Amino acid sequence: MLRWLHGAWAVFEKDIKLELRSRYAINTMLLFVLSALFLTAFAVGQETLTPRIESALLWIVIVFAAALGLGRSFVSEQERGTVLLLLLHTQGGMVYAGKLLFNFLFVLGLNLLAMATFVLLVGVQVVAPGLLLTTLVLGALGLAGATTLLAAIIARTATRGPLLPVLVFPMLIPLLLAVVTATRHALPDGQGWSAVGDELLTLVGFAGVVISASIILFDYVWYD
Amino acid sequence: MPTLTERLTKGGSPKVNVERYRTIRTIVLVAVTAVAAGGFLLEIPRIQILEHTARNLYFHVPMWFTLMAAVLVSAYHSLRFLQTGDLRRDVRAREAALVGVVFGILGLLTGMVWARFTWYQGTNIWWNFDPKQSMAAVQLLIYGAYLVLRTAFDEPQKRGRIAAVYNLFALVTVPFLLYILPRQAPSLHPGADGNPAFSDFTAPSMRWVLYPAFASFIGLFWVIYTQRVRAALLKLRLYGDTD
Amino acid sequence: MREPPLPSLRDGRQEMPADTAEAIYDTLWSTSEIPTRAPEGIERVMLAEDKLYVVLAVVLIIWFGLIFFLLRTDRRLDTLEREVEDRIPDNQPPA
Repeated sequence: MLRWLHGAWAVFEKDIKLELRSRYAINTMLLFVLSALFLTAFAVGQETLTPRIESALLWIVIVFAAALGLGRSFVSEQERGTVLLLLLHTQGGMVYAGKLLFNFLFVLGLNLLAMATFVLLVGVQVVAPGLLLTTLVLGALGLAGATTLLAAIIARTATRGPLLPVLVFPMLIPLLLAVVTATRHALPDGQGWSAVGDELLTLVGFAGVVISASIILFDYVWYD
Repeated sequence: MPTLTERLTKGGSPKVNVERYRTIRTIVLVAVTAVAAGGFLLEIPRIQILEHTARNLYFHVPMWFTLMAAVLVSAYHSLRFLQTGDLRRDVRAREAALVGVVFGILGLLTGMVWARFTWYQGTNIWWNFDPKQSMAAVQLLIYGAYLVLRTAFDEPQKRGRIAAVYNLFALVTVPFLLYILPRQAPSLHPGADGNPAFSDFTAPSMRWVLYPAFASFIGLFWVIYTQRVRAALLKLRLYGDTD
Repeated sequence: MREPPLPSLRDGRQEMPADTAEAIYDTLWSTSEIPTRAPEGIERVMLAEDKLYVVLAVVLIIWFGLIFFLLRTDRRLDTLEREVEDRIPDNQPPA
């Protein structure tokens, strides 16, 4: 078990180091989120948005950004030719856990950035910051959990192209519904914590189920 | 004679038993004809708004039972493929998904027409994000993605394995929809919160057609599915390739 | 010239407390608020004969859908047949 955790941590550490060296993914996502939110803000114009629409726009941007950003997480291994090394030195589960951790932190950062930008740009008032933060964390966990396995699938396809959104969006609908409702209740006119117990429970359950299923299924994708 | 548990854990042969297929085909074709005739001929109680369209219960609702059956069959064969690596399992999983998509689309279309002239009569609403409608649409999107994903591979084993993984992985998220969708929009379907339940407005006499309708449309699914599996297995033998 | 007969239906898409939801069902399922204005356009056809034509439309949709799918299976069998023919020429008895 300890060895397993160690292996997962090593994969995670490697990803972090590589990312900090090139900052390719981070910078791309930063700019993607900024420009997408700017587009949204311009498209909306001077209209006042209801909290429902605000949270919907925010999460649409986040989901698209995550689907774009996480699609790279296994493709890059293929391109650098490091898949063989990983296959030799680690087990599938370790690779999955390491990647999941990295992707989770990545999406979490993305969420926080998008939220902060959105609050500044559109002038959203946050009534229940704690609830919003919880939603962002749980949403990031579910997003990363659902996308990591699919990113591994993408890396196996011949084209490695824009298939990830097609695969992941139908699966994300329950997550999106829960997360948008929870976010809405953290904004003005929302009812705060009391109204979103079921949504938070759904988010926890979704992340749990998706991650468990990924752990079971990952080996079939990872090994030939 | 293997016990039920043995059969469930080991599973039947992925080959098609042609003789059994022919027998069931004949029964199913007769049954579907009888259901269609009975659906129009038997008297039904008239309910406001629904009027004669209550007869659609015999035709629209079985589409959903059929889709559910297709989902189960497809998921089962995907699981078996991961266990055995037998390409015939992969063929079966794909054909079940494909035929399921056809019945799902038919279910959506018939539902749209039915709702337009009853619930939404006098409006111009064809689609209202009813939870059941959304569920079906999401399941169809998943199968669409599944079928597209299959085209991205050249090597049959790899294609089968990864498609099976996606099939099962996407399926585990569907139960959450059951839970979360009804909270987003009220359902007009019977049985959903506060609506009259199914049994409240299906007169006992209607069940004589309704239950056979469920059985015979699922049978029809099985016949069409088996027919396609036969063709696909032939192709697999010719080329050693599934798609 | 169209009155909205089911007013709260579109707005009802957002989550709503249970009692509002039930109010909608009441307007839909009770006999009191059925729209009474004369149907026009496609509804004139579909609502005739106690809406029997809706059932006909549903049955025809299923029928044509299945026919379409059967024809596609047929095409697939055609290609398969040709492929088999290519492999086993006519003048040789099949092994």
